[in-house]
Amino acid sequence: MAAVVELDCVSKVYEQKIAVKDLSLRIEAGTMFGLLGPNGAGKTSSIRMMVGITMPDSGTVSLLGKPFARESLRRVGYLPEERGLYKKMKVMEQLVFMGQLRGLDPATAGKRAHAWCERLQILEAVDKKTEELSKGMQQKIQFISTLLHEPELIIMDEPFSGLDPVNATLLQDTLIDLKNQGRAILFSTHRMDQVEKLCDAICLVNRGRAVLAGGMREVKSRYERNHVQMSFEGDNSFLQHPAIAEYKDYAGLVEIRLKPHADAQDLLREASRKATVWKFEVMEPSLEEIFIQTVGEKIDA
Amino acid sequence: MRDVLLIAKREYLEQVKGRAFKVTTILIPAVFAGLIAVMVFAGKNSGAGKHIAVAAESPALAGVVRDQLLADKDARMVVDVIAPADAAAKADLIAKVNGKEIDGFLWIETPAGGAAKAEWESRSSGDFVTEGRLTDAVNHALVQQRLAERGISAGQVETLTKRIDLTTMRIEKGKETVSNALNTFWAAYAMAFLLMFTVIFYGMNVGRSVIQEKTSRIFEVMLATVKPSDMLAGKLIGIGAVGLTQLAIWGAAGALFASTALAEKLLAGEFTISISGIDIALFAVYFLLGYALYSTLFAGLAATCDTEQELQQYAPLAAVPAWLSFGLITYIVSNPNSVWSVAISLFPPCAPITMFLRMASQFPPAWQIWASVGLMAVSVYVVLWFSSRVYRVGILMYGKRATLPEMLRWLRYS
Repeated sequence: MAAVVELDCVSKVYEQKIAVKDLSLRIEAGTMFGLLGPNGAGKTSSIRMMVGITMPDSGTVSLLGKPFARESLRRVGYLPEERGLYKKMKVMEQLVFMGQLRGLDPATAGKRAHAWCERLQILEAVDKKTEELSKGMQQKIQFISTLLHEPELIIMDEPFSGLDPVNATLLQDTLIDLKNQGRAILFSTHRMDQVEKLCDAICLVNRGRAVLAGGMREVKSRYERNHVQMSFEGDNSFLQHPAIAEYKDYAGLVEIRLKPHADAQDLLREASRKATVWKFEVMEPSLEEIFIQTVGEKIDA
Repeated sequence: MRDVLLIAKREYLEQVKGRAFKVTTILIPAVFAGLIAVMVFAGKNSGAGKHIAVAAESPALAGVVRDQLLADKDARMVVDVIAPADAAAKADLIAKVNGKEIDGFLWIETPAGGAAKAEWESRSSGDFVTEGRLTDAVNHALVQQRLAERGISAGQVETLTKRIDLTTMRIEKGKETVSNALNTFWAAYAMAFLLMFTVIFYGMNVGRSVIQEKTSRIFEVMLATVKPSDMLAGKLIGIGAVGLTQLAIWGAAGALFASTALAEKLLAGEFTISISGIDIALFAVYFLLGYALYSTLFAGLAATCDTEQELQQYAPLAAVPAWLSFGLITYIVSNPNSVWSVAISLFPPCAPITMFLRMASQFPPAWQIWASVGLMAVSVYVVLWFSSRVYRVGILMYGKRATLPEMLRWLRYS
């Protein structure tokens, strides 16, 4: 299957700073892709090249199976991290305007905007001026304006920041629906729990380079199951066991990182001799830990 | 092109529906009318309604002076005659002035064989209008008296001393047309002021609008579908159309007002301003070119700023050419064809204003108009080249205001 978006050895340099260096990635239709990385890693710079706001210094960008062309942007929806709306415009006028810019006729844009507002529960706001709305509502309007033209590629920079849990879930479910309809979705975020739950594939960038990329399961399987979460009552001297690299004791709930290739079962036997074990779970590291580990190593290097 | 029109339409509707547009459309002509009314009123009433005394040895002379003063209806003076006057009368008059019974007195001495002397004594000095009236009246009366003394009959004296006013004529294309120098000046002043005001107002308006889009962070959304050049073009067209709309409303309202009976009464012949079709066409051309010049300049500069306050620091770029043009207004109107007048009317930032001032006093040669339009078009092109590049980079840059070397670097990588 042709990739919806593909970057091939893309680089971008601003004055002295290298924003993106030899970045390659591809996103297929019907997948959700997480672009991760610390602040200033080059996420936004990469996204800007995908949507033609800036041009790469070297390397190529392909959109919808073809080399980058501005016409393809009509089939892309982009929600930037820095959100902007025309403050003085009424919500419906704004949505219709955005839809028209992406090639819709006013009637279709209006009909779709209405349907979306209904779905996201902001129908009562359509006749208000944008500046009168709460931040969360404005964010929903932006979300709608990104999707109005039914793009095949949806790019969202930090889509859930600033939303309350109810609305975050609402948007999250919407994105999953869109994915199931076969759209390709790329989003960047710092919230690793969301990435872990939603994404099929990830790319972790640091200092402009991809440091970790691949399918979610595949990436995680590269890491050993060396994490233990346990809860117990009684003597905690087993925490001195030689298999343990480090642990954090949160009053009865302990998080343990084992030494490489250590025997978790031996630790369990030792623990059950000394204390009453309620829970003992060997886990793969969370994406957050992988993130910190990978990025941290690079920073040390 | 579709994008440009969509953006232009959005910009146009937002501004025309906005409060600022309604307020300025009504308020600016109101302020203008108010200022003119105050000026006319003040002009008519300065030195009016005074109570004075005329003191002379000869009752006949004092009487003529009094008649002269009363003939000026605008002055609405009350004039007492003290004749023949002596030193006691003078002391009495001084006491009256001091006691604010009268505003002042005119003391005329006509010693036999000596030069006549007239004094105006009042509590204040500097009332030029009253002084002018008094000087005219005394001189006129003295001439009449001297002629009468030489045995010329009263009727002949009247004919001989009849005052005449200059009629100014303007020669256009070999034909004489009646023109009133003062009215021409006011028409030029009004049109040049209107032109300068709208060009700079709407030029700055574009700058403000760019800043607002920058602070509302709309650019990144827009640029994912629209080219920066289309955004800039749409904005310039949209706001330019707002300016033209406002001018058209004022123009239509002005024409409507001029055709009413009230206007006929108010302007009653002495204040006719004739505006020809060519004037209107050139006004539109200079508005569009001037607007294009200032708005592209401010769009580029605004893209390098983060706040309106920062943009304000560039305001002198618009204000200095305006001051320069207005500082030269009397010079240009009285010397429309001097080297300096021609030079400044060709200088693009000043051309819209100064060319209009020249046109008002004498229509400049066609080649000069074409040259100034051409020079403006070239400078619009140059500024547009510069601004669109700075704009492209600047609108996505946040943080401190860009310095000139930074802007020059942007030119390279945009």
